[in-house]
Amino acid sequence: MLDSFEILTTSGVVLWSRSYSSVSPSVINSFITDVFIEEKNKVSGAKENQSAAVNPPYKHDQHTLRWTFVKELGVIFVAVYRSLLHLSWVEKLVDNIKTIFVNLYGDQLTKPNTTIVECAEFDKYFDQQLQELESSGAKITYGSSDLRSRGADAEEQASGNFGEKPPSPALIHRRIPELDTIADEDSVASGLSPNISRPTTPATRPDGPRGAKVSRRARRVQNTASAHASSGDESPRHKKAAAKGPKKGRKWDDDGNATEEDGVQLDYSAKGLTSDSEAEVGRSTALEEVDDATWGSRSKGKFVLRDLGDEVHSILASAEQSKPSTTSPSSTGLVGSSLKTIGGLFRNVVGGKTLTKEDLDKAMKGMEEHLLKKNVAREAAVRLCAGVETELVGVKTASFESINARIQSAMEASLTKMLTPTSSLDLLREIDSVVSPPPTSLRKPRPYVMSIVGVNGVGKSTNLSKICFFLLQNKYKVLIAAGDTFRSGAVEQLAVHVRNLKELTAREGGRVELYQKGYGKDAATVAKDAVGFAAAEGYDVVLIDTAGRRHNDQRLMSSLEKFAKFARPDKILMVGEALVGTDSVAQAKNFNAAFGAGRGLDGFIISKCDTVGDMVGTLVSLVHATNVPILFVGVGQHYSDLRSFSVKWAVEKLLSST
Amino acid sequence: MEQQQSLLDMLKSFLEATLTPSPAVFIIGGLIVLLAPIILHHLYTRTTPYTSLPAVLLVGPSGAGKTALLTLLERGPLSSNPSPSSSSSSSSSSSAAQTHTSQVPASVELAAPEDKSLSFRTDLDAAGATATKFLLVDTPGHGKLRAAALSKLGPTASKDDKKSSSRLKAVVFVLDAADPDTLSTDGAEYLYDVLLALQKRTGSGKTSRAPHAVPVLVAANKLDLFTALPAALVRSRLEAELARIRRTRSKGLLGASVGADELDAAPEEGDDWLGEYGSDKFSFGQMREFDVDVDVIGGNVLGEGGPGVDKWWSWIADKI
Repeated sequence: MLDSFEILTTSGVVLWSRSYSSVSPSVINSFITDVFIEEKNKVSGAKENQSAAVNPPYKHDQHTLRWTFVKELGVIFVAVYRSLLHLSWVEKLVDNIKTIFVNLYGDQLTKPNTTIVECAEFDKYFDQQLQELESSGAKITYGSSDLRSRGADAEEQASGNFGEKPPSPALIHRRIPELDTIADEDSVASGLSPNISRPTTPATRPDGPRGAKVSRRARRVQNTASAHASSGDESPRHKKAAAKGPKKGRKWDDDGNATEEDGVQLDYSAKGLTSDSEAEVGRSTALEEVDDATWGSRSKGKFVLRDLGDEVHSILASAEQSKPSTTSPSSTGLVGSSLKTIGGLFRNVVGGKTLTKEDLDKAMKGMEEHLLKKNVAREAAVRLCAGVETELVGVKTASFESINARIQSAMEASLTKMLTPTSSLDLLREIDSVVSPPPTSLRKPRPYVMSIVGVNGVGKSTNLSKICFFLLQNKYKVLIAAGDTFRSGAVEQLAVHVRNLKELTAREGGRVELYQKGYGKDAATVAKDAVGFAAAEGYDVVLIDTAGRRHNDQRLMSSLEKFAKFARPDKILMVGEALVGTDSVAQAKNFNAAFGAGRGLDGFIISKCDTVGDMVGTLVSLVHATNVPILFVGVGQHYSDLRSFSVKWAVEKLLSST
Repeated sequence: MEQQQSLLDMLKSFLEATLTPSPAVFIIGGLIVLLAPIILHHLYTRTTPYTSLPAVLLVGPSGAGKTALLTLLERGPLSSNPSPSSSSSSSSSSSAAQTHTSQVPASVELAAPEDKSLSFRTDLDAAGATATKFLLVDTPGHGKLRAAALSKLGPTASKDDKKSSSRLKAVVFVLDAADPDTLSTDGAEYLYDVLLALQKRTGSGKTSRAPHAVPVLVAANKLDLFTALPAALVRSRLEAELARIRRTRSKGLLGASVGADELDAAPEEGDDWLGEYGSDKFSFGQMREFDVDVDVIGGNVLGEGGPGVDKWWSWIADKI
């Protein structure tokens, strides 16, 4: 069943936990990193107090996590279970536990300067909830329709890896039969054949030994009123038709012939959820009887549980009641409201005002407008503003701080967080570690391979030669591979760059050569040959130029996957123009996805930054779309006009108002 | 009509009453004059903490054990007299709580005894020792969230942070000694940033008075594990790695904030150079020039058989 349940704070301390089987802490760590810090799955409401049912489940090797978050207290509730189990009651459990925990220990959580919450008593509340929901969970899901549809989503998402048995947790002993039946049904659902699960199929049929498909054909034939006359050329068509339509229920009449009937649903493959939960209800009622029988022996435990149950129910009920009452605003006459407005104005100047959604709305609109003016794509601007708004609702402004100043600082923090790379991007250090690895690491020295992709005309070759110049200054031996075998003049263009670079760096000791195979060859093969050549000749770095391609041209984009497989670059950089507008999001997404599974872009180079002044919003759009960091910024026409990206600089430019 | 009339009358009489010099008006006016500043003062002070305690900052890469150390130090005095309620929730024998990746900084109020020999587990009230209170501030170690921690160190701390920055007494940099890979990549880079921020503090202020010294403790954690490097080895590795980082950074590209016109004016020598400028090898001793003392001490938060955290604790108590 449940593998573990944890209650932890945003500061990383686990307040309460219960585990039934050992779950690696990396599961929850990666959950926190992906969902809360890097915001990979783009849930706009990742910071809101939604119920666990609305939050999309997070999946991490074989485990599914259902979670909810209380923003004011900074507490996260996570339930971990095996992905191959469909536990529809877990969301309800997470929500209920949240309500109970916040009710019981909420005041302890707001204490400053401590991480201790005395919640050892919580064990029995949890046990009570778990037992209650486990036994009645199926009914709850059956009762409310929206829960059921959500269950369908979960079921669709769950990958079918049913061969494995989960390690049996402490509570599993009563549940094993149910588990088996669920697994059975799921194997049916994964579409093997509906016939396996039908015990009513008569063993001996008058028609003789026929397979399932034959009998289906026979039935079809019967329906078309041409009895026992199935011709060979007709059957494939029938089969196809039968496969396409939804599977119908079948009844066996006295002769043993099948007749088709609508209404009785036996098809478990697509939307068999209703019948699934029906079956679960049936099972759970049977289970309750068993439970009652076993409880007879330990009446004392039952008594205690009942008592607790009442308390828990009252907590849940009061929480349910308070929900609608908070939404209805209290109208307290003219005097009250005018006093409130005056107080609000006063607080706006002095500070100490608790921000509400209405306060923020107007200011956020202004901020969004500002970002759009800075050439941030609309999608990214909306997401940023939504993130800041949810972060600020309910926050008190500091003394003598206006709302706008607060929003400004929150936006600054959120932009900084977005643009800051997860790991350091020191290119020279990386090259060093590949070219001359430390003797302890047991790696063989090999050339460091970088390739550059992008849309036509954004400056791929120019930025490649800029990087080359930078590397030559640091005394590396560089090989430039002419991977653009398509556009006429591309190889010659690179040859000119190489000639210039040679002359420029002849004194400083760098060495650069061009590797080219002319036009018309396969770019991936050229790249692979170039890497092999560089390894043989002792080059340090290989820079591969590629042909420019439109990001929505499927034919050209698909060749990138082969390219990534053949050349195996250490870094794939995409060049993006600062000039481009909303299209940047689509460009980045398509290029990021083009290298096949498990390989994406490693960084962006933003070219032509000198032409846009303050409007560097493209940076934000690109990072927003892909979570890929920006490495370099091109700021001019010369070889030396390449800068490493600085987050502070970008944030300053984005927020400057001119 | 009548209502309006009566309202006007009321206003009139009210105005008259307030403008005639009667004792009631004097008293009320006097009260307002006397109380208004007091009330304002209370409003203002209630929002800000009454005193700012000296602070010790816990920094380090993710997964090094910062939050675990924080909880261990906080729960240390409690675990010496085992309470029946906490026995069920704590699974291991040690008193540090289970932790996961942090997203927000957390701070804990601790008391450092003046008698340095006392362990952190000693209940100070029972021992009757005199102690200084301080805040231990845990910061998230994830790459995206380091900016906040670094801003607390640097000279660029904004006005709000100024107060807390001046109370910063020491920095504890926690490292996972059992993981040499992150130690020499992520950990070393973060340490470089921290030390550089501290170095920039000197000479950045408006006055000629040097800011107070902020010592750094590199706490090599997880020494109970078999694969862990001893503290001396951690030290030499870090020094070698920091030297490499500073070399590649000096050769790296200029930051994007450098404008075209500023290019000719050569960047100030050694602006971003950690330690003694131009020196080939880096050692933590070079940081003494900038009033930054660096110590490397080993220990372990979890597990048994290691040196524990007592040395770190006495180091912290010494610096408060």
